[in-house]
Amino acid sequence: MMQDLVVHGVFIVYAVLMLMTVGLVLTWVERKQAAIMSDRIGANRAYLRIPFTQVKLIWWGLFHGLADGLKMLLKEDWRPNSYDRMAYAVAPWFAFVPVMAVFAVIPFGGELVPGTFFGWFEGTSEWFGDRSYAMQVAPLDAGLLIVFALGGIAVIGAMLAGWSSNNKFSLLGAVRAGSQMISYELVIGLTIVGLILIYGTVNLVSIVEQQSGVLFGFIPAWGIFLQPFAAILFLVAAQAENQRIPFDLPEAESELIAGYFTEYSAMKMGLFMFAEFIHIAIIAALFTTLFLGGYNLPYMTDAGFLLPGGFEIALPHVLVVLLQITVFWVKVFLMCGFLILVRWSLPRFRYDQLLSFAWRFLLPLALINLAITAVAVWAIQGIGA
Amino acid sequence: MTIETVFLMVFALGSLTGAVAMFFLRHPMRVALALIGTMVSLAAIYAQLGMHVIAVFQVLVYVGAVMVFMIYAIMLLDVRDRSFTERFSPLLVAGLAGLLLLLGVLIDGLLRGQPFPAVDVPPDAFSVSTFAIVFMEQFWVYFALTAVLLLVAEIAASAVIDIRRRGQDVAAVRAERGDDHG
Repeated sequence: MMQDLVVHGVFIVYAVLMLMTVGLVLTWVERKQAAIMSDRIGANRAYLRIPFTQVKLIWWGLFHGLADGLKMLLKEDWRPNSYDRMAYAVAPWFAFVPVMAVFAVIPFGGELVPGTFFGWFEGTSEWFGDRSYAMQVAPLDAGLLIVFALGGIAVIGAMLAGWSSNNKFSLLGAVRAGSQMISYELVIGLTIVGLILIYGTVNLVSIVEQQSGVLFGFIPAWGIFLQPFAAILFLVAAQAENQRIPFDLPEAESELIAGYFTEYSAMKMGLFMFAEFIHIAIIAALFTTLFLGGYNLPYMTDAGFLLPGGFEIALPHVLVVLLQITVFWVKVFLMCGFLILVRWSLPRFRYDQLLSFAWRFLLPLALINLAITAVAVWAIQGIGA
Repeated sequence: MTIETVFLMVFALGSLTGAVAMFFLRHPMRVALALIGTMVSLAAIYAQLGMHVIAVFQVLVYVGAVMVFMIYAIMLLDVRDRSFTERFSPLLVAGLAGLLLLLGVLIDGLLRGQPFPAVDVPPDAFSVSTFAIVFMEQFWVYFALTAVLLLVAEIAASAVIDIRRRGQDVAAVRAERGDDHG
């Protein structure tokens, strides 16, 4: 019991720290990548000075994220003359908390056996015995459903913020955010149902484990090879759900100042911004888990590697765990880079185009993809039976 | 008292507080927030009891879908409406009488009621797969029927809006032409 509490406590602290760090680093990546893409130098001013020396640590401007955070913490928390102060105060949390909570069901590694992992530490292996834990904050079999449930709550934050700000720009942003997020959430749901049909489960650990196999003897059974069309639809809809260019109409600065969070300042505004960056990481983590084999490399399992042809390479538990955690975050960072690349490459839609795109283009495509997948799964299962 | 019981009591209190607040708050947005509080607390109670699927659907359907649409609608109401700021509704007496009646029935039920017998539930009774199989075998007809009825209602609502809009357009064109009298 106590062991379970300790392990899950460590997982929770790890998840929160990693998400905060990734969110912070992504604010820098966003600037630096934009600068590289437009042939500029980018963020390079903020630095840390080693005390009592003239040595300045600039590190390619990596400290700009910290400087931003500090600025937001120290700024005046200015509040508009809102008619509902409570709604105004809780709105940023409605936007921030569900985004963070989604990570609870995403597996960032395979099976952890603390007794073996800390085998070199006197007494630890005895205390843990042969207990094993899935590297996931909340190992629930309804994993994917929880992602959808929490995704639905985040919409409320944007709408509450816009409504309670007592500003027409904010209200317009909130209306836009509400319509957009509801529309694209539907597309995301329908694209993932195809994967659920194939894997026959909504448990994310089980989905990752099934991707460890191979197709036709050599292709890794990753979701992207099984459902390539769904992967593209998911990425497009997720970018829209995150309200980033080309779908950033709810906060389009040339039309609505900053949309639903125009009237927010200091750390409350920071929470909205931070939620957006953490959301990028969450989308990348979900895409990694559903389509890119999760925390595993091709042909990799919790025991080591199982190569095509039946060759087995057994690896020590410590190495497997470290490799899985590293592989997961590398995949997540690569996906984040791709999402930021899209953000800096495309121009913004018009609002009517944005909704038409969801309802008249993506939704029918998602339905066609689902119908074809259902027929294919039914036919393959029929042949198998 | 175990930690599970403490959490159960906290969430039960949260759900009751939200429910009571819904009676007493005047502004629709606050009532909606109180309702969200109740729904989330109920979901937490279900999760605490090991029924994760029911908890997820509670949040997914009621908070993620129903309440999102309610808030969307409330957001577009006129905030200067006097009924939001008046302390009491004209139906105060009727409301109080209803509340007293409800409380009476509840207290009577509690005093007369017997404790619930212990139910032997298999450990995987509320897993996703068990739930899905039972749902698809026993309830899918009702579910599909409800979906069809909802679709009919949606089409009817959009048709009514369309007819009204067309009526307004015709009236606007007439007013512009100045042939209202004819």
